[in-house]
Amino acid sequence: MVKTLRYLAYALLAVAFSACQKEPSTSDLDNDYLVYTDYDTSVDFAAFETYFIPDSILIIGSNYEAEYWKDDSAQQLIAAVTAQMDNAGYTQVADKAAADLGIQMSYVEKVTYFVGYNNPYWWWYYPYYWAPGYWGDWLGWHYPYSVYYGYTAGSLLVEMVNLDAQAGENKKLPVVWDSFIGGLLTSNSQVNLQRTIDGIDQAFEQTPIW
Amino acid sequence: MKTSKYLKFAAFCTALLAFATPSKAQLFPHTYINVDWQMGVPLSTSFADKASGWGMNFEGGYFVTPAITVGPFISYQTNLESIDRQTLDLGDGSILTTNQEHALYQLPFGVTARYNWMTKRVFQPYVGMKLGACYAEMSSYYYVVKQYSDSWGFYMSPEIGASIFPNPDYRMGIHMALYYSFATNQSDVLIYSVNNINNFGVRIGISF
Repeated sequence: MVKTLRYLAYALLAVAFSACQKEPSTSDLDNDYLVYTDYDTSVDFAAFETYFIPDSILIIGSNYEAEYWKDDSAQQLIAAVTAQMDNAGYTQVADKAAADLGIQMSYVEKVTYFVGYNNPYWWWYYPYYWAPGYWGDWLGWHYPYSVYYGYTAGSLLVEMVNLDAQAGENKKLPVVWDSFIGGLLTSNSQVNLQRTIDGIDQAFEQTPIW
Repeated sequence: MKTSKYLKFAAFCTALLAFATPSKAQLFPHTYINVDWQMGVPLSTSFADKASGWGMNFEGGYFVTPAITVGPFISYQTNLESIDRQTLDLGDGSILTTNQEHALYQLPFGVTARYNWMTKRVFQPYVGMKLGACYAEMSSYYYVVKQYSDSWGFYMSPEIGASIFPNPDYRMGIHMALYYSFATNQSDVLIYSVNNINNFGVRIGISF
């Protein structure tokens, strides 16, 4: 009996030494994508009528030069955003100078970069992102809300800028809506593409402004 | 975690002493030591409230009278729960759609007191009460993120149990207990809140 108790003691001690705080298995978290959206609650989105979207997606990678993604897959993703904007009642225009809203899409290809920031001017420090000058005479970006992004490989960013905002050398271009879609990478490129489209649809669906 | 290392070191030293002195009737005079596996389930908590066996309890006591013991205790418990994909309104325009893994970790420690019966018999029942502090960590794992908040609270835990010594002269036996615990911890993660932590559980282990 004493021998049995001693074995029991060894087993208990083995359990005690093996773990104190148990971490859950996170393997299942890879099976689905994440969609995070944020918007400026002070903006009347019904006041906007038109939007412009570029024909390419910026790639955030390890290159020092800006890269753009333009192939058929990119066009399908752009079309998914366009369809959602049209469904929301906005009209696409070919001239960005005539648009009320601008849509910029970025795909994080390689880098891992986490941002949890209350300072709306953090984009100043991120290289080779969409340049504010692409949209007009603005100096830098402005997020009217806190920004929390997790930049990991296989993430898509979709952001909406207010092109009706006052421009000027010292003015910042406000990003009035943004979405972060993560967890898009699997070994199957078709699955990745469909996941991304589903993520775009979810981003618009979960935003209660249109 | 430093607390974990100290805890394991203390348990390891205790075990070495216990196994190195098999001929002694009692490791320390007028004392007892328990090392228990613990299974608990949080009650009335909508966060990670599934039963879990990821817990241990360590305690010792000194017989201040033939029936009453007083001593320190420390225990830990993690409860887990998988959360299916859902959309969470985080407020102020922020909305998140994801699946999650929730974890509620509790680490209470303090003083334990027991009233024991039949301390010379094979079967030695008791009633006890633990009082102390409780550190708790409430975590949500999603995507590649662990978001958590920790808190401290007051802890109390009544329990009933028994030690069984096959040979009362050789104080090495089995310990079993049922316990309820209440802690005043409060914390929030995402849209989830914990306001007081109640547990019900079982402990099974060794007593010497």
